[in-house]
Amino acid sequence: MSQAGNEPILEIESIAFAYRDKPVLRDIRLDLHPGRILALLGPNGAGKSTLIRCICGRLQPDAGRVRVNGNNPLDNASARAATGLVPQQIALYPHLTVTENLATFARLAGVARRAVGAAVAATIDVCDLAAVADRPAGRLSGGWQRRVNIGCAMSHSPRLLILDEPTVGIDPPAREAIERLLTRLAGDGLAVLMTSHDLAQLETLADGVAFLSEGRIAATGAPSGLIREFFGARRDCLVSLADPPGAELAARLEQLGLASADRDPLRWRGMIDEREARDLQARLPTDAPITELRVRRPGLHSLWKRLYGRDPERPG
Amino acid sequence: MIATVARVMWLALLRDRGALMLAFALPPLLFLVFAEVFSGAGDSDLEMRVAILDEAGTPLTGRITDAIAGLDGIVAVSDGSARGVVRVADLETLVRQGQADAAVWLRAEPDGNLDAEPPVVVVGDASRALAAAVVTGRVQRVLQAEFPALGVARAASLVDALAGPYTDEQLEALDLALSELDAEALEDEDGDTSQDGLVEQRLLGGGREIDDGVSYYAGAVAILFLLFAAMQGAISLIDERNSGIVDRLVAGPGGYTVVVVGKGLFLTLQGLAQATLIFAVAWWLYGLDWFGHFGPWLVTALLAAAVSAWLGLLLASLCSSRQQAQTASAFAVLILSAVGGSMMPRFLMPGWLRELGWFTPNAWVIESWHGIFWRGDGAAELAIAWVVLLATALGAMSISIWLAHRLAREK
Repeated sequence: MSQAGNEPILEIESIAFAYRDKPVLRDIRLDLHPGRILALLGPNGAGKSTLIRCICGRLQPDAGRVRVNGNNPLDNASARAATGLVPQQIALYPHLTVTENLATFARLAGVARRAVGAAVAATIDVCDLAAVADRPAGRLSGGWQRRVNIGCAMSHSPRLLILDEPTVGIDPPAREAIERLLTRLAGDGLAVLMTSHDLAQLETLADGVAFLSEGRIAATGAPSGLIREFFGARRDCLVSLADPPGAELAARLEQLGLASADRDPLRWRGMIDEREARDLQARLPTDAPITELRVRRPGLHSLWKRLYGRDPERPG
Repeated sequence: MIATVARVMWLALLRDRGALMLAFALPPLLFLVFAEVFSGAGDSDLEMRVAILDEAGTPLTGRITDAIAGLDGIVAVSDGSARGVVRVADLETLVRQGQADAAVWLRAEPDGNLDAEPPVVVVGDASRALAAAVVTGRVQRVLQAEFPALGVARAASLVDALAGPYTDEQLEALDLALSELDAEALEDEDGDTSQDGLVEQRLLGGGREIDDGVSYYAGAVAILFLLFAAMQGAISLIDERNSGIVDRLVAGPGGYTVVVVGKGLFLTLQGLAQATLIFAVAWWLYGLDWFGHFGPWLVTALLAAAVSAWLGLLLASLCSSRQQAQTASAFAVLILSAVGGSMMPRFLMPGWLRELGWFTPNAWVIESWHGIFWRGDGAAELAIAWVVLLATALGAMSISIWLAHRLAREK
């Protein structure tokens, strides 16, 4: 990863972990510096959750080592104090107000009693929670609950924030609010490690991504760099037809590098050179029953498909 | 469509082992406990621990002692010497301490003297008056069945006093009839000879101003609800596990153990408050001498609350879902309470069930509080119960914390 601070807050050195002799993590190496946002990507079973558990000190790797703030989180309280975890579920006490939740988790994370008030006030300010500070967490909308969920992991001023699917199940405005919050937190020097299936979001939000496949890192780097590395100047093209193509049209589509998407004869998709993509319509027969022709730059979605051989929406 | 809904209900029940147990295993189990108690309550199957003191020491009182000790449903806890019961005070101590449900004191040889005090005294505890009544009835029955001449002799004395002295011939005929009655006694157990004036029932603890059952039932109800409330409160542990709160806490420096210990502390204080409320009502409405025994009461209440709290947390730690924990806690509380004496006095239970009761916290808590208020037990008498309760609480706490630690650090 590119470096914002000098020393990485998170260092993962060649860790491996097996569950009942089945390898779950293999030779994972990652660094995360303050001020950076790194996304862990991969289908279910790729090893994301296990990796996060190792980082949080819940699992001891069979080989390699994890350092958070320079210490092993497995046996070092200061390493764990430097970590804030935002679970995928709404991990709040629903009958407590937002302020009470923040204070509770601050105390449980080791903030001194006399410092809790200031810590809560700072979190409310940073996470912009003043509007709901006195309301019970259980009565907030999904979007607000997600923000409070993040706030509760922030109330002890960690240096590393780990988020598991922080925007799942919320509407676009709430998602954008969380994106802004995470960008702001990273701007303040926090290192952010997150998992998400919202690949479009990560293209703009994350400084780096790491694709995990069967316990290994299949690809890692900045999203734009990875996309350039894998696809060069090619474009992601989609041709939708009103009727199944005849033999001549099908041959032409295949010649251009398109293939039936998901065995659907009405949708043809593929990565083709930027120059060919630019005048794609002109390269197809004039009588082709085209209903839609889409040409776009490849993104993490395309990369996912390339790495895993299927759409990210399809279960693994 | 109605059948479809019913089928869904049936499948849901079939696949929920907890609900299945609650629906079909708990009812017969509870029935078993109640049946064991109440099916024996009306006849000689009801087992009573009886201390016997033969102070008169005559051949006749020796035979009466043997006859009482040999009765079905009577377990002699002393034979007059083996356990050092040589004085009435010893008998009373055994009864007061609950080591005997009642005692039989043969203070003189029964005869026809109507002016003398009844020669047989059944000593009971006023808090277990039913036990004394049952033993009195059995002693009267054995005297009627096996020593009918005693009753006839007293009746003859009464006639003698009322109608003038018997002639020598009448006295001779009477002696002969009495000796024949003794010989036929065992063949005529249904004899209706009156035994009035032979047996006296004496209840200890008289003179106390409160209802005799108050201290027992205050304790019995308190431990029942302490267990219920603690188990319900402990279920929040499962909610926190499922909501991700535990994941969040485990990632922090405090870990999960502090949460479990914090819950244990709260549930202990909650239980203490519950016990305080129940005994405050007993003091206010029934005149229980609460403040006169406040120290021992407080220690027992603290231990009862701690045991309830940590048993609840242990159960919640072992369960994986709220539904499972609710089922298991209902099951556990009802069984512990039925066997431990929260639903009925343990002296009504058959011997094996009474012994089984000592494996429940209810029995130790109820007996401790009852002893404090009824017998004025202090630290020395309560030491064993306190040690048992403390050990149970510490054991449950240790396992709960170990489970929490294991959850936090998975490997």
